[in-house]
Amino acid sequence: MKDLKVDALVVGGGIAGMQAALDLGDQGFQVALVEREPSIGGKMITLSKVFPTLDCCSCITTPKMSAVAHHPNIKLLTYCEVESIQENEKGFAVATVQKPRYVDEATCTGCRLCEYACPITVPSSFDRGLGSYRAIRVPFSTAVPQIAVLDMDNCILCGKCEKACPVDAVVLSQQPEPFTIHATAIILATGFELNELGAKKEYGAAKLPNVIDPLMMERFLSPTGPYGRVLRPGDGMEPTTIAYVQCAGSRDKTLGIEYCSRVCCMYAIKQAMLISGALPMAEITIYYMDIRTFGKGYEQFYQNAKAMGVEFVRGKVASIHEDEKHNPIVKMELTEEGRIIERTHDLVVLSLGMIPAVSSSGFGLVPASDGFISVPAPNASPTVTERPGIFVTGTAGGPMDIVDSIVTAGSAASEASAYIRSKTMIAESQSEVAYA
Amino acid sequence: MATQQATPSRGEILKRLREQHAETFARTQALLKEQKRIEQVICSAIRETAKTVPQIAEEVGMPAPEVLWYVASFKKYGMLVEKGMCGDYPLYQKVEKK
Repeated sequence: MKDLKVDALVVGGGIAGMQAALDLGDQGFQVALVEREPSIGGKMITLSKVFPTLDCCSCITTPKMSAVAHHPNIKLLTYCEVESIQENEKGFAVATVQKPRYVDEATCTGCRLCEYACPITVPSSFDRGLGSYRAIRVPFSTAVPQIAVLDMDNCILCGKCEKACPVDAVVLSQQPEPFTIHATAIILATGFELNELGAKKEYGAAKLPNVIDPLMMERFLSPTGPYGRVLRPGDGMEPTTIAYVQCAGSRDKTLGIEYCSRVCCMYAIKQAMLISGALPMAEITIYYMDIRTFGKGYEQFYQNAKAMGVEFVRGKVASIHEDEKHNPIVKMELTEEGRIIERTHDLVVLSLGMIPAVSSSGFGLVPASDGFISVPAPNASPTVTERPGIFVTGTAGGPMDIVDSIVTAGSAASEASAYIRSKTMIAESQSEVAYA
Repeated sequence: MATQQATPSRGEILKRLREQHAETFARTQALLKEQKRIEQVICSAIRETAKTVPQIAEEVGMPAPEVLWYVASFKKYGMLVEKGMCGDYPLYQKVEKK
C-alpha cells in the first residue's frame, strides 16, 4: 500500500468520525478516514432507534456510511490500525497497518457465498456474542464496504470459501501491510466502550444469563438482531417483566467511574418504550437514582414513557441474584420510603456507563481524569486538544449522545479546517519570503 | 489494501499459515468437530416436532443458553424456522433440504 498525503486524517468511523470526514470533504479538503473494524458505522449502526424521535438508526447511519465511501475527497481505509503518530514541520506522519482480510477488496462483490460455505460458526461481535457469523463473512448486512473478511484465528484452511467464491477473491497470501499517512491535522473519533457487564460483583458478575447490557437489548430490538425478536438469552423465553438498573456502571466510586455517562437515562427510557411496542403485555420497571433528561424534547419523552405505563422506582439497587429458574431478583432500597424490597424479573438490563475505547497516550495526549481525551478549554473550545493540530469529536472526548456527537463532529471539522488553512497560509508566506 | 506477496505456492502459503496459527488451528479443528456433533443432535431433536429451547436443552443435555445460541445460528443460516409459540417460548423446527 502506498503512503498517503492528505489534509486531514480522521481516526474512527463511527457517527462522529464519519460526520467530521464528510464536513471536511465537503469543504474540499482531502481526508483519510481510518477504521480498525472491517466496516464503518461504529456503535450507532448496531442500535435499533434513536431518542427522542425514535427514528431508525440504520436510516440515519447507512446514508452517511455510503456518502463516506463514495465521497470524492475521502479515502476510506477500513481494517487498519494506527500504530503511532510522529509530528514534523508539515504536520503529522501517522504509521498505519492494513490488516489482512485474506480477501481481495477490489474483486470481492459481497455475495456471501463464502460465508454460507464456511463450516465454522463463531460468536458475532456485532450481536455482542449472542448471535453468530462464520469465520469468513461480510461483517453485517449493511456493512460498508460490503467486502468479506476472514478471521484466521477461527479458520481451519479447509478451502471451502475459495471453492465457493465465484470471482476468486479469497487471497490467503495477504499479510499485514504498513504504510504512512501524512496529514496536516488529525481528528480523533475513537468512540467508547461500555463498562464490563461483570464489573460490579453485586450485580451478578456477568454470571447470570438473564442479566444483560443495553447494547445487547439494542440488538434484540433491532430487526436484524440475533433472535429477530426480544427473547431472554438464558432460555429463549419472551420476557414479561423487564427491569433496568440505572447507574450500574457509572456514578460509582467503587468502580472508579465517578462521572455520569449522560445517555443511560435516555436509552433506558427509549428501550422501555420500544419494548412496550414489541411486547405489549410486558411490565417494564426502571430503577433509578436520578433521571437526567437534559436535551431538547427529552423531558417530554420521559413523561411519555410514564404515560405509557413504564414504572419508575427511585432507589439504589444493592444486589442482583437469581432463583432456580434463572429469574433475576433485584434487591434494593427505596430511598424515598427508607425500606428494602426484593422483586423478581424475567430479564434485567444493567445501564452500564461509557468508558474510553482507546488510551489517549497512544496519540501523545495526556488523558483527562475520567480517562477520555483531555480538552484544556472544554467550554470555549470543546474539540481542541492540548496538542496543536489534533482535535477530538464524539465520545472519544467524554460521554455524549448521538446529537452531541454530530454537533462536536461539525465543531472539530471547523477547528481542523481553520488549522489547515492557517498552516497552508504560513507555508505559502514562508515560500514567498524565500522567493523574495 | 493488503496485497499478495511475491508468488509463493499455495502449499507454501498454507504451511506458513498453519505454522503461524498452530494453536488456534488445533482449537478450531476441535471446535468444528464439536459444532458438527451439536448440530446433529439439535437438528435430530427438532426434525419431527417443533420444540422450545428448554425442551431441546433437556432432550440433548445441554445448557439452555448454549442451545439458544445454536438455534439462533441455525435460524440465521436457514436451517430451522419458528413454528409458533408454546406459552412464552417460540417453537423451532428443522427445515428439510429440498
